[in-house]
Amino acid sequence: MDLPIDQLGCCRPRREFLRVGALSLLGLNLRQYLALEAATPAAARSKQKAQACILLWLEGGPSQIDTWDPKPHSQFNAIPTRADGIRISEIFPRIAGHMDKLAIVRSMHTEENNHPQGTHYALTGHRPNPALKFPSLGSIISRELGPRNNLPPYIMVPEHQETDFFSYMDAYTSAFLGSEYDPIILPDPNHESFQIPDLSLPDTLTAADIADRRSFLQAVDRGFRQKEKHAEFGRMDRFTNQALTMLLSPKVKQAFDLSQESDRTKDAYGRTRVGQSVLLARRLVEAGCRFVTTSGYAHGAWDTHKDNDQRLRDKLAPTLDQTLSVLLEDLQQRGLLDSTVVLAMGEFGRTPHLNANNGRDHYPDCWSLILGGGGIQGGRVVGASDEQGAQVAERRVTMGDLFATIYKAMGIDWTKEYVNPGGRPLYIANSIDDVMGQPLHELV
Amino acid sequence: MGMSDWKRPVRVLVLSLLPILAPGHLGADGDRQTPPAEPAASPNGSAGSDRLVARNGLWGFRLVPSRVRLLGEGAFQSFLVVATDSRGLEIDLTPEARFSLSDDRLAQVEPEGLLTARRDGEVTLRAEVAGQRLEATVRIEGTGRARPFGFARDVVGVFTRNGCNGSECHGGVKGRGGFKLSLHGINPREDYRWTVKGGVYQVLSPKAAEPFDPRVSLEEPRQSRLLLKPALELPHGGGQRFERGSADYRRLLEWIRQGAPYGAGPSESRIQRLEVFPREAIMEPGAGRRLLVTAVFEDGRAEDLSPEVLYESSDPAVIDVTPSGVVRALKPGQARVTIRAAGKLVQVRCGVIRQPLDNYPEVAGRNFIDDLVFDRLRELHIVPAGLSSDSAFLRRVCLDLTGTLPPPERVREFLADRDSLKREHLIERLLNSPEFVDYWTFRFADFFRVVYRNAYVYKSWIRESLARNKPYDQMARERVAGQGNGGPTRHFIKSISGEVMRPHEKMGEDVRVFLGIRLDCAQCHDHPYETWTQDQFWGITAFYGQLTRIRDLSVFMDDVSGNEEQPEGPKVIHPRRRREVAPSFLDGSLPPSTGINPRAELADWMTSPANPYFSQAIVNRVWANFFGKGLVEPVDDFRPGNPASHPELLQALARDFRRSGYDLRHLMRAIARSGTYQLSGDLNSTNREDEVNHSRALPRRLEAEILLDAISSVTGIEEAFAVHEYVGGGTEPKGTRAIELVPEVTPSQFLEVYGRPVSRDSMPWRDYRSTLRQALHLLVGSTYTTKIAAKEGRVSRLLSAGASDREIVRELYLAALSRFPTADEETRLQDLIEMAPSRRKGVENLAWGLLASRQFTYNH
Repeated sequence: MDLPIDQLGCCRPRREFLRVGALSLLGLNLRQYLALEAATPAAARSKQKAQACILLWLEGGPSQIDTWDPKPHSQFNAIPTRADGIRISEIFPRIAGHMDKLAIVRSMHTEENNHPQGTHYALTGHRPNPALKFPSLGSIISRELGPRNNLPPYIMVPEHQETDFFSYMDAYTSAFLGSEYDPIILPDPNHESFQIPDLSLPDTLTAADIADRRSFLQAVDRGFRQKEKHAEFGRMDRFTNQALTMLLSPKVKQAFDLSQESDRTKDAYGRTRVGQSVLLARRLVEAGCRFVTTSGYAHGAWDTHKDNDQRLRDKLAPTLDQTLSVLLEDLQQRGLLDSTVVLAMGEFGRTPHLNANNGRDHYPDCWSLILGGGGIQGGRVVGASDEQGAQVAERRVTMGDLFATIYKAMGIDWTKEYVNPGGRPLYIANSIDDVMGQPLHELV
Repeated sequence: MGMSDWKRPVRVLVLSLLPILAPGHLGADGDRQTPPAEPAASPNGSAGSDRLVARNGLWGFRLVPSRVRLLGEGAFQSFLVVATDSRGLEIDLTPEARFSLSDDRLAQVEPEGLLTARRDGEVTLRAEVAGQRLEATVRIEGTGRARPFGFARDVVGVFTRNGCNGSECHGGVKGRGGFKLSLHGINPREDYRWTVKGGVYQVLSPKAAEPFDPRVSLEEPRQSRLLLKPALELPHGGGQRFERGSADYRRLLEWIRQGAPYGAGPSESRIQRLEVFPREAIMEPGAGRRLLVTAVFEDGRAEDLSPEVLYESSDPAVIDVTPSGVVRALKPGQARVTIRAAGKLVQVRCGVIRQPLDNYPEVAGRNFIDDLVFDRLRELHIVPAGLSSDSAFLRRVCLDLTGTLPPPERVREFLADRDSLKREHLIERLLNSPEFVDYWTFRFADFFRVVYRNAYVYKSWIRESLARNKPYDQMARERVAGQGNGGPTRHFIKSISGEVMRPHEKMGEDVRVFLGIRLDCAQCHDHPYETWTQDQFWGITAFYGQLTRIRDLSVFMDDVSGNEEQPEGPKVIHPRRRREVAPSFLDGSLPPSTGINPRAELADWMTSPANPYFSQAIVNRVWANFFGKGLVEPVDDFRPGNPASHPELLQALARDFRRSGYDLRHLMRAIARSGTYQLSGDLNSTNREDEVNHSRALPRRLEAEILLDAISSVTGIEEAFAVHEYVGGGTEPKGTRAIELVPEVTPSQFLEVYGRPVSRDSMPWRDYRSTLRQALHLLVGSTYTTKIAAKEGRVSRLLSAGASDREIVRELYLAALSRFPTADEETRLQDLIEMAPSRRKGVENLAWGLLASRQFTYNH
């Protein structure tokens, strides 16, 4: 869609602008604007289905036997939880109180055991391939459900600090789906100068200035615009309209504005990168985002090649125990738990035996994760590992199965295939050996 | 272009099928060079045809093929009658022709031109249409014996024609539903095994897995799954492919009844190549043409295969094709028809013209590029735009050769220059400028994969090579065969980890860079769409097998003796066959010696003039720099299924490049000087929809780095680039341009937002798509706000120098768009400045309007 020039509303002189107000910036009248606000694909979808997903990304890969699949040879004791018969590691006392809301999968089996490849595998369902790009889970969900309330559908918070984030970037992006399904990456919300670039008018610029500027633009580009109909031009016009809506809409700005949260809430989530990122994720999901990837752990934090037990006990578990519990409580209080899938996982598990440094190394053969909310049955365990926690003993679950489960919870057709630009068909829930994943019927 | 073509020049004309193209073989009206002065008339012609002739001024009648040899019982051949109309369009007159034979005992001919052999001898086929009498000679032999049956031809032909062995069905990597076939029948022996013996294909083992249930039942042929499934008598994921009792059904049934033999040997049953008439079809909307497909078998025999092949249109909205091979033009545009028979393919280029032009204007070309491009446009009845204006040319060529906008004083100078050769002089100046070396170092850094870990030595080798105009084949040899620790060996290092790439990764990259071929899919399985096999992949990988890094020294060398990491010496192991692989070239040939430096042998083979891919790959990449897309697109995806938009041009450019001694500047000069490159973007009634034939200049978005540098140059404010803390922090020296950066260690919001590739462990991919973040940044981002308003910037300088509104408008136009504003623009913009709350705001807003404009953001 290449908007005709007069619909861009950029050619009105200033005085007129003041009369008709900011809406004319968008080239919309009030009725159209309201229609835009209301018309989201969500309106047509069943109320029962989950509308959004928050991923708590435990990058580095947590140890399964020290978390959700406790074994006697772990240094930590297994404690009972609110769900009958389900025991988890003692380092998550608060989460134990929420096990009725969460399901554990104890038989995840994946195929990559290095961080960049494992991350790619966990978030796209495919092994990386130099010749092919695969869309990530967040991009697929965004594309299948579409944006809500003018918010970008897919957000990642916080941005990674480390330079080798580039080796991971392919795991998070939309590949061939289109840039509107790439994540918008936000800085650290726990930083004192937290500010989101380009999401609000700078002090030097008013809405009226923008209208003026667009009059100049229109005078410069009129002839070229009429002549050239490049496919990207229509897209850019649409993005420009969306950008203006975002810049001028108080709702969008508020979604990103953590200062609207009380100190009590901020404290409850924890004044850490993790805590504040998860809090922001809740705000964003509440406002209309479809998928938020949150992390905030130091790079490789869960990658406990050294001092596994001590790091879990002192640092990692307390943070996760606090934020995940508060998130679940908060979502429930706000009535969002039934419409929000919460998933906590890393890119693989860790070896069931300790190495010489009291650490555990990468281990994709059999590992665990937890998920809940969005209509997913809590208080359940899917699959089982063997005595050591080394091999799948019961019901192998693949990434494709997990994706299919989440899609089903969100009302997305999990059997769908995309065809990449080279003509290769790809399951959106891709399982080992390019077969279609199956939803975990125990959970959805 | 199969592997067998590698050592032989590819024949452009299909001579054995089309002797008619040579004068003397034609019928009565043999001369196609000149149209007859007036329409021919004949007492025998039907009234309808006469009207046709009178209306269209038909000439150049032909009966195709004009000479043919039929072999074996029941052999047949379809014939076509074609003529050329007054506007140069070839049309199919077969339905209007009357066919007869000189001797009805030897053969029979049906009204639609299908001739079937009866008895040995020579017979003349006559076709009469529009008062023309055309003849063809048919030699008939061996009618006493049936053509030998061959699985490869007959059964695999049925699979191919019905799409069973396409990549999305049983020809996929792992087959479908437990039944695997080789892609489009490239490997009939394997197909035979899967069909007759059964078993499940395994990716990681050459052995077939259980269960072994044959697809044919010799006891109860009709109960064979090979028949029940496609006839939908059993559920079939692929739906019904043919009906019970259809010709294909009967052919398979008959084969099974005979005991499902493999049959004739390769030379009799394997197709060597497919030929098609016409190779190219230019049509008006609504017109139709029948295609004639001939298979030449390995024993030299040729056969009409038209009814037995699979026809696919690349764009069914433009060209529709029936299962029997009749193409119909639907709407203006271009498409290819791909024709597949067991293991082979051939393509027909189809162009549907908007409207034939009776008076196509004279379009003068400047060099061989134009000859080929403009000839093609004439065939398609598309008139190219006129020559670009001096200012449009100046901006375009400065960006394409140097990535840099000309400053206002250079623009004024060039526009005022009256020398008729000023464009040629400009091109020379740019080719010899330091900016040229900067820009092409940046370009090469992308596709030669300069990364943080190798940047400094490797990039200076690239820069030095370009500055000295080193022949490109030499650059390639230095890179592929590099030993030691010099610049060209550095690309073996991965981006961040600093690890050494594995042999197959190095191979995949070199083949992609230098031959434009994506072999990567064949790493794990035979290539899903093309004929590349896993064996070829690992054969060529083996050339890299001995490459090792001497620890701590960062020295790369081939080492056959082994070292502490690999005590037995490095080896390349085939993942499926689990055995060591010896080096072999892509065409299956072996290196001349089991040498000391296998990569040198590989480099010689890659850069050999006999290897068509090498020079085509680079001229295509360079072409893409000047036109936004390659003649083959994507630029590194050369394969038979993805042919060039202008194959002759690609070959001519490659030939010229080889003759010049692989001189990159020579190639760029030829492109920049061509009329094709210098066309304006103006639209006319014929080129409006064209985006592939170079009938006008099309807009191309500036790359992130070029765009940022251009904004810096217009605003007069250099960008201060931060250096990542990971490598010590701080900023790049003042005056560093975006094109000089190493992406991984110089984070930049603007560059990321505009699609600078950062992931560099594989070939970088540039993202030119519009995004929401671009829209946001354009409206409120610092690049577009603070740079414009900066005190030392161009806007402030102009204001404090006391320039008038008119002077300011002109100066900013020259800086951003390399042109003066039109009178209308000038008036309108001065008015807007006047209406602004302050003059300064007005001028800043004007600067923003220019920087945000499409004219600025795009090269056009």
